[in-house]
Amino acid sequence: MTVRSRLLATWLALMALALATSAIADPNETRAPRFVPVEVYLESPEPVAAWQFELEDRAGAMKLVGIERGGHDAFPRTPYYDRDALAGGTAPRIVVADYSLVIGSALPRGRVRLATLHLMLEGDPDFELRLVTATTPGGVPIAASIALGDSPADSPERAP
Amino acid sequence: MKERMTHAATFATLLFAAACLASCSVRPPAAPAPHAEPPPPPETVQDIEAGVTVYRQAPGPAPAAMVAREFLEREALESAPADEIWVIAKAARGQESLRTRSEHASTVRREPAHPGTGAMVVRRPVDTPDAIQRVPLPLEHTAVDAAIAGYVGTVQVKQRFGNPFDTKIEAVYLFPLPEKAAVSAFLMVIGDRTIRGILREKEEAEAIYRHAREHGYRASLLVQRRPNIFEQKVANIEPGAAIDVDITYFHTLAYRDGWYSFVFPTVVGPRYNPAGHTDPIGALPRGGRTTFPETTGIEYLAPTERSGHDLGITVRVDPGVPIEELKSTHEIVVEHGESGTATVRLADATTIPNRDFVLDFRVAGETVRSSLLTYRDPETGDGYFTLQVIPPRDAGAIARRPMEMVFVLDCSGSMSGRPLDQAKEAVVTALARLEPHDTFQIIRFSDDASTFGPAPVPATEVNLAAARRYLAALDADGGTEMLRGIRAALGFPDSPTHLRFVSFMTDGYIGNEADILAAVHRHIGDARIFSFGVGSSVNRYLMERMAKEGRGVAAYLGPHDSAEEVMANFFDRASRPALTDVEIDWGGMTVRDTYPTRLPDLFAGRPLVVAGRFEGEPTALTLSGTADDERRAFVAEPHGEDAAGPVIAKVWARLNISDLTDRQAIAGDPRGELRDAIMRVALRHQLASSYTSFVAVDSSMRTDGTHGVTVHQAVPVPDGVRYDTTVE
Repeated sequence: MTVRSRLLATWLALMALALATSAIADPNETRAPRFVPVEVYLESPEPVAAWQFELEDRAGAMKLVGIERGGHDAFPRTPYYDRDALAGGTAPRIVVADYSLVIGSALPRGRVRLATLHLMLEGDPDFELRLVTATTPGGVPIAASIALGDSPADSPERAP
Repeated sequence: MKERMTHAATFATLLFAAACLASCSVRPPAAPAPHAEPPPPPETVQDIEAGVTVYRQAPGPAPAAMVAREFLEREALESAPADEIWVIAKAARGQESLRTRSEHASTVRREPAHPGTGAMVVRRPVDTPDAIQRVPLPLEHTAVDAAIAGYVGTVQVKQRFGNPFDTKIEAVYLFPLPEKAAVSAFLMVIGDRTIRGILREKEEAEAIYRHAREHGYRASLLVQRRPNIFEQKVANIEPGAAIDVDITYFHTLAYRDGWYSFVFPTVVGPRYNPAGHTDPIGALPRGGRTTFPETTGIEYLAPTERSGHDLGITVRVDPGVPIEELKSTHEIVVEHGESGTATVRLADATTIPNRDFVLDFRVAGETVRSSLLTYRDPETGDGYFTLQVIPPRDAGAIARRPMEMVFVLDCSGSMSGRPLDQAKEAVVTALARLEPHDTFQIIRFSDDASTFGPAPVPATEVNLAAARRYLAALDADGGTEMLRGIRAALGFPDSPTHLRFVSFMTDGYIGNEADILAAVHRHIGDARIFSFGVGSSVNRYLMERMAKEGRGVAAYLGPHDSAEEVMANFFDRASRPALTDVEIDWGGMTVRDTYPTRLPDLFAGRPLVVAGRFEGEPTALTLSGTADDERRAFVAEPHGEDAAGPVIAKVWARLNISDLTDRQAIAGDPRGELRDAIMRVALRHQLASSYTSFVAVDSSMRTDGTHGVTVHQAVPVPDGVRYDTTVE
């Protein structure tokens, strides 16, 4: 057997060992974290001046790693999150809110993206999204509905 | 199931092996022997744009690609020419090569090793070979936008990180903020998108950032390394792209002798770390990181180098009463507005960020009075206050007791030149103001400490003349073993007849602040400490904390200040406190968690600032103290709840964290209780701290390839500091 053949045999054995080890990995091992954007949409029949929603992950897999503003110029700032609800990263829920001081005619109605939440997921999430409040400029509650847009289930990551 | 998977794995291996056999012969790369000498430097590469010289550094760990190429070149000579060679190699983290995006060639020269980045391409104008070289680095611009309301500043700092190279980079930048800064917001801006960063426990934030970086997501991380030193990391900046990071902080302004002072530090001075110190901050030449692999290190540009980093500062000043006078360490443009406000801008947009920007403003006549600002959290009902007590001019002054004046001069390398000259001049000024019944001592320290005399000597003409000669002979060189200076200054018995005043004259460029503060606490006794910061970018955190621990005050002597004038004023104020044994009657407020925990003496022209929590209704409060054996008192009125109220809560939280940090430094924290307390306060009030960090990730897009090369932002040495005695 030549030197080259011996090296090849050794290398093949090492490759086989590496692949076999990875294939029989512990099924309970924590999945590698992945990052996903989650977009939150509001459907409102009236102009919205203030809103607050809560996203809970009953599986405890999510960590908030960033918040981005929504799609309407009436809410130009990056929304704030509730520091207590986040509880230093230990609570599986996120409370996000914002308000606008623009005149009523410039406020959004219909379907509007409120925010994009940037999440790190360690496992499969089990989301529950609740609209805490949506109000008119006069503070009157609106019968609005809220929904997730791009969710990890249907659009895990956008390609570069 | 397990068996089936094993079979599948074996099958896959065999398939892969068969493919390899079908295509080629395989020769594994020869791994370098452990601790082997690094391969010789690669040949220089010429790739430059017109008018710019680009050169590649040579020493240091060679990038993987280079190693592979050299392996191929070397091995090819020993192999059969007919063999096809495969090299299966993975670049070690941070060992990829960097090249500028330019492609034209010119002359070549070698650069010092750049840690963790392997080869690095830099450039300089070819037509001025002896002039300043321009070094391409990620930090392009820092824009500071400050708003001052009353004596509280809200400051937004926008840092723009670009990528001048042709591969992805991670930018790392160590920068200073004021020692009282309460960093409370963090935004990452990519184009027209803004992502709010999240405050998390530091280790968790670092782990999130690391995952994002390694998976190609753009991310940023802000970590506090010292109360006044922060580290900014920005990952996956693509070639030609830029990412902005916006930081917002609050702080109270210093008030001295009728002047408010807004300070924005621009560079961290080169710190000295005593042997054995476990949490150092290294002062490294650009590319010198290989010698400090595990430390937080600051890389400094050589005197002949400049980065493209420039600085813009805008300060809107609204003290609530008309401004009478403004002055600054820099050239400024002032626009006066209505109601006595002013907008101040840095005049020169190309200002080199190598010294503190200081803006002082004096308000009208006697309009500055003691004030009480309060804020009640609408959700929790918690009340917070900030009290500023400015002693009235007629508050009195205590007749001066005989003094034992101890001057402690930092004679380390960083004080070489103008700083030491100024410090000497200041000491000479103070000596001239001593009275014959006073005593004095002069202690110099660098690598060691020595004294003017074996013990404090009377301030006679003969002794003063000898002291001046002693001072004239002092030179600056070596390290900053400040602990030796502290032991020498405080480690001898108190005099029963004289009150000891210890004046530290230093730039504070040390990395072991916690050790210093603990030593001061242990040895202080009845002495008072007056820290005297000398230089353009003083470690103000150390100066303020030493003064606080020593129940004294701090003063600063900039490179363009008159040492005689500053010291004369400082000496007269410091040696005659207006009130001692200060107490506060809080009236209708029930007060708790106040900082400072022990009220210091009150000095004329220096306010006492107290922050705390309260219940009940804010009412007038009474401050009293002793002057010449008499109790004197005066009243401070509440200003009512301020519109910028939430800032009051953050100011309190920052002081709370500072107090807990000091206690940690002094007494240790074996069970982590103080650590937990700091973390609780920081998370509750959303403040960066030594245990909490901001992280932001853009999960919407993944960049191509690996995370690229880490580029550490090199900075200029502070103005007046010699590179050769502090960095090399």
